[in-house]
Amino acid sequence: MKHSKASVAFAIPSIIVYSVLLAVPILIALLLSFTSWNGIGEIKYIGFNNFLRIFKDKSLGIAIENTVLVTVVQLIICNVLGLFMAMLVNRTDRLTSILRTFYFIPYVLSSVAIAFVWKAIFAYNGVINTILKTVGLEKWITAFTSNRKGALICIIIVGIWNTLGYYMMIYLAALQSVPQELYEAAKVDGVNNWTKFWHITLPLITSGTMISVLMGLINGLKAYDIVKVMTDGGPGNSTETIVYSIVRYGFSNNMMGYASALAVALFLAIAVFTLIVLRFFRNKEVY
Amino acid sequence: MLFRAKKCLPKIVRMIFLLLLALFFFVPLFLILVNSFKPGDKVMTSPLSLPIPPVFDSIKSVLQNKSNNVFYMYKNSLTLLVFVVPLSIVCNSMASFYLARNNSKMSKFMRFYFLAGLMVPYVIVYIPIALVARNLHIPFGIPLLIAIFLAATVPFTTFMYTNFIKTVPVELEEAASIDGAGKFYTFWKIIFPLLKPCTATVIIFNGLGVWNDFMTPLLMGQVKTITVGIYSAIGPYSADWSMIFGYLLFAVVPVIIIYLFLQKQFIAGLTVGATKG
Repeated sequence: MKHSKASVAFAIPSIIVYSVLLAVPILIALLLSFTSWNGIGEIKYIGFNNFLRIFKDKSLGIAIENTVLVTVVQLIICNVLGLFMAMLVNRTDRLTSILRTFYFIPYVLSSVAIAFVWKAIFAYNGVINTILKTVGLEKWITAFTSNRKGALICIIIVGIWNTLGYYMMIYLAALQSVPQELYEAAKVDGVNNWTKFWHITLPLITSGTMISVLMGLINGLKAYDIVKVMTDGGPGNSTETIVYSIVRYGFSNNMMGYASALAVALFLAIAVFTLIVLRFFRNKEVY
Repeated sequence: MLFRAKKCLPKIVRMIFLLLLALFFFVPLFLILVNSFKPGDKVMTSPLSLPIPPVFDSIKSVLQNKSNNVFYMYKNSLTLLVFVVPLSIVCNSMASFYLARNNSKMSKFMRFYFLAGLMVPYVIVYIPIALVARNLHIPFGIPLLIAIFLAATVPFTTFMYTNFIKTVPVELEEAASIDGAGKFYTFWKIIFPLLKPCTATVIIFNGLGVWNDFMTPLLMGQVKTITVGIYSAIGPYSADWSMIFGYLLFAVVPVIIIYLFLQKQFIAGLTVGATKG
């Protein structure tokens, strides 16, 4: 018997809770995804029909389009702006550190509360339109969330407001891990700022970039709260996200089998994207 | 002169940019703050004006709303916190001790098994849990939510603790075992106290995760936590802005106050998992 080994008994509570409430439900979802179960009545096996249906489902197609669009736009803006902000706040004076703390506030708030505030801002009788009226720009007054394009832009803005501070902090931590000597050496060599950024900063913060991209991707694909509160998927079904559609099919339309198939497909998609991102960045990592 | 201008200009531009950003982050918070203290009709006629003199109509309307009692929501959310956060620490720190201090195939598999949970879109578990709960006559409510949240904390919490325990020298445990201490005793008396920084991270991450979660209490029985509570109090189509801002004040202010007191811990707790991974 070796003394330094910890017994599996230590892990049993976690294994049980995790298995019963996460792993087993996922297995059940997998089984349900091959059925046409509607919540009541018998469970009928229908093979891969649910998965084939995904490709023919027009409203889901819109949801996928919305999810991808919102994810990609947020990902790009949050990463570019987040890195830029991190570079600007990467110093120690008092004002900068106050601003930094301030930028992070939205990330600790619940997305439901955040979405309601922004709903009040974008509403037809809301803050922006009221201000436009007061300053005499009545002709600019519109219902921002009454069409798909406008609503998606609003959703993207809210998402950025919610998470930008987080991306800034991730990049800030990455920037602070870059050895200062490299910049000093570059200065001696008379290297300009742009070259410094491309050849020192960017390669050395790869791990931070990887995390930011990964988090943006995973959270983007799981988006639900903000859409639920701000537009409730509307107008029509035009601003639904994938998770919103899954919840609608599973809990409002009682199509448990199909909803499970969608959730399984989403899980697979997230797993595949995660592996792609990890692979992509592994080749670029600098130690 | 020219030389100085060249040096000062970027500084000014930087400051203007940072202050504009601050404004972008500030306005929504400012709106909650000022509009919760205004008479209802003023909220949308002059949303940006200061509440002078302050009026407590909207706060009163929140406090007097019996069917959407804000203290009942606090109570529910706090109950979840009080159970999930400590239970998660106890279960997962022990599990991580096994993961970090055992190199068997089983342990390696468990590490992968738990880590895979980080990628799970949680929407996948609600239908199966609802199905099983109905068949076993388990009612929706706080106890079921506690169990679901506890399971949800496993991947991140074990990931953090495992990495942290690996940095603790094994010699400490060996010394204890020579003295005849059992593994369980060694873990709680010697190792666990050394994990405090990690425990702080985990408390903040899991605590905020539970407090802010919307989907789980919404779909698992519409339990009125603070998030589901304000959602059902306001509803998807309400335009009673005065009441909305009142509820938002109650939702947002406690978290902001705690954040301002513990900013370092919050920022570390929410980003360290990402940066040390």
